[in-house]
Amino acid sequence: MPEPLAVLDSASKSFGTVRAVVALSLSVRGGEIYGLLGPNGAGKTTALRLLAGLLAPTSGRAHIAGHDAKTAAAKGRLGFLGGSTGLFARLTPREVLDYFGQIYNLGRKEISRRVAGLATSLALQGILDRRCEGLSTGERQRVSIARTVLHDPPVLVLDEPTGGLDVLASRFLRDFVRGERERGKAVLFSTHYLAEADLLCDRIGFLHQGRLLCEGSPAEIRAHTGKGTLEEAFLALADGCGGPP
Amino acid sequence: MNLRHVRLTFVKELREALRDRRTLAIMILLPLVVYPLLSILAAQVAASREKKRDERPSTIALHGPAREALADHIGQNPTLFVLLPAGTAADVESGRLDALVEADNADQDRWVVLYDASRDESRIAEARLGEVLAKVLPDGCVPRFVVEKRSLASRARVGGYLLSKALPLFVVLMVLLGAFYPAIDVTAGERERGTLETVLSSPIRRTDLMLGKVLAVAALAALTGVLNLASMAITLMQILRLGNHSIVLDVPWGHALASSLVIFPAALLFAAAFVALGATARTFKEAQTLLLPAYFLTVAPALAAAIGEYRLAGIAAWVPGMNVTLLARDLMLGRTGLPGTLATLASTLLFSALALALAARIYDSERLVAPAPARRLAGSPGHGTNAGDALVLFALAFLMLYFVFLPIEKRHLVTGLLISEWVGLLGLVALYARMSGQRLASVLALTWPPPRVWLGAALIGCGAWAAVATLSEWLLPAPKAMLEELRKSLVPLDGSRGFFATLFLVALSPAICEEALFRGPILRGLRTRLGPGSAVLLQAALFGLFHLDVYRLIPSTLLGVLLGYLALQTGSIVPATIAHFCNNAVLVTLASFRLDQRMEHMSHRATTLLVMASLALTASGIALVGGLGRGRKM
Repeated sequence: MPEPLAVLDSASKSFGTVRAVVALSLSVRGGEIYGLLGPNGAGKTTALRLLAGLLAPTSGRAHIAGHDAKTAAAKGRLGFLGGSTGLFARLTPREVLDYFGQIYNLGRKEISRRVAGLATSLALQGILDRRCEGLSTGERQRVSIARTVLHDPPVLVLDEPTGGLDVLASRFLRDFVRGERERGKAVLFSTHYLAEADLLCDRIGFLHQGRLLCEGSPAEIRAHTGKGTLEEAFLALADGCGGPP
Repeated sequence: MNLRHVRLTFVKELREALRDRRTLAIMILLPLVVYPLLSILAAQVAASREKKRDERPSTIALHGPAREALADHIGQNPTLFVLLPAGTAADVESGRLDALVEADNADQDRWVVLYDASRDESRIAEARLGEVLAKVLPDGCVPRFVVEKRSLASRARVGGYLLSKALPLFVVLMVLLGAFYPAIDVTAGERERGTLETVLSSPIRRTDLMLGKVLAVAALAALTGVLNLASMAITLMQILRLGNHSIVLDVPWGHALASSLVIFPAALLFAAAFVALGATARTFKEAQTLLLPAYFLTVAPALAAAIGEYRLAGIAAWVPGMNVTLLARDLMLGRTGLPGTLATLASTLLFSALALALAARIYDSERLVAPAPARRLAGSPGHGTNAGDALVLFALAFLMLYFVFLPIEKRHLVTGLLISEWVGLLGLVALYARMSGQRLASVLALTWPPPRVWLGAALIGCGAWAAVATLSEWLLPAPKAMLEELRKSLVPLDGSRGFFATLFLVALSPAICEEALFRGPILRGLRTRLGPGSAVLLQAALFGLFHLDVYRLIPSTLLGVLLGYLALQTGSIVPATIAHFCNNAVLVTLASFRLDQRMEHMSHRATTLLVMASLALTASGIALVGGLGRGRKM
């Protein structure tokens, strides 16, 4: 079994008196899609930001491919798509990708080659030289995905990547994520669309009030809770904690 | 440092900014279009007014002997004068007459030209009459000499002088303006657009990122300054040429070019400072709120430099805004000194580096990506003092001092001082505590520290004054006469006020009341928003400003730093009050027994020993209070 590439080890994070994540442990291996589920305020974004090195855990550890998530080595091996990801509005997608490609120390020729490949796989051909401020939500998300995978990182952390997308765009993105799994990437993504997680994830972690309530494949969780759908399973688990989901 | 990443960020930010219409409008539209348009308009108006003035004859009247002597000469110039048979001074005032020449009542040989200096037509009439009068000589006299006015200054020097009065300030203002929006855009704007997380999750060092941003903003600000300088210089000369044909000036282009070099250090400093401030803001609007006071704080010394005849030396060479304005002026006049120039460049680079380090530190902290803290509603039960409250309290205290208590102090010093301290400061804090629903003791942080801290505070208070006074004297020496005046008013030696009464007035009252405000809600409020060091520095600066005296600004600010440190380190206002009392009590004692006058004549060695003793006492006090660890108790 391959080594886990994204690891949270008893990681906690507090903001003042608010405990956003409490002793959270999870790991994602190469060729695996892990869905972090939970309602708003459950701590999903904080957990992903710990892995992206944007936040340091109050206690515990966050590692990417064996490196502390705060280090440049970890960041170089990570593709992070935040929930509020925007694009440099006055630049074109090609300029955005060129900037990040150079930040990730790719050569000019390599960047051109990868941009051409991503333009095909993410249907960016017609928009590469338009300013980002004029793109639609779906187009911007596709550019953001291209930016996330441009340096071909082994770990992808995606925070609610399908938020605000229509059915077609969501499906396109899910297919792309599956493709990345096939290429051996470790994919960790958060969502509160339970049906989407059911369709896509190899494993799921239910997060509630900063704590991991349950972890396993969708089938295992349904069996564990005795419920027919993930939504019913989650409601049952949240009820068990005595709090509203 | 990864220079490649710095360059990448620099180019990226520059490209984005140059595609922003707002930036372009301020940077290019303003200097290249607005000034020439204004110039053309102003020149046309001026030329048309001047033409009309030249064509219009002056309406005058002559009385007594002046009429006999001048009538013929006036009559020879019908295009210049219209001579009325009679007129009075009231006619000149009402505008019916432009000027009136009459004999002086006391001395009939003395002629007086009456005119209205507030009217151009009247001034022209006076000038024309002056020329005529100069040609009139008593009968039989032949002129023995001709007077010619000749300025030793070259036309270029006169041009440089005129430009030095206006252009440095305008250029500094334009550089400031040029840095303003780009700085907000690359920091708060980036955060608002949601691109910050993406950048921070990539393997780019915060210092490289910030340096790239600062350099991009500096480049834009410098470009704004250069364009403005070029456009305004030409525009100004155009106005001068077209406005008055008698003034023909040359632009000293070499000096103007040298002067424009000031733009670059100024742009770097303003860019670094604005980027550092912008980095603390969550939104564009919040950044504007933060940067606007900084803008005006920088404008004030620049304005002072432009108006006052300051030398680029001493502390003036270290004040941001003032130093670059003075350097630009001196370069324009071609009288730059090396020490002043070096001090200006060194201080600008130093402050820029500090601001850059601060910006990088802010970007390295989690506050940019951490959730916004929950805000409590002002006025609700349990509402704590915040930074906004602190600034409002300072503003209120300042306004009351300036408009209410200072006039009282002018009339009666003791009454004014007592009212301003106990009512204006302590009363204000008490009122604030009541209105915000807090306990006064809580607003003041009135807790009792252990005896060790009392002793430490007393040592700091008794020891620091000598070092503070020496440093202040070195940085900005106060005029002796002013010091003597202050000493006489506060510590009179004529027996009109007893020692203990003076101690109460000058030591105890300020120690209680000023600490209640500055180390109470102001410091606590600022601490909610700023780190301990920044909060202490800002409240100390406000404390210095509150003394409303440029020569007391530095000692008061230095004392404010020590007192702020004490309050923050101990979590109580009591040690700062003790130290403040001891500091003022020592000064009162020295003045009461005329020891301060003897100290003025101390040898250099004795002064050095005194400062060393002062520093030793202060260091001992700090050690007793708890060292220099970061204050986390307030």
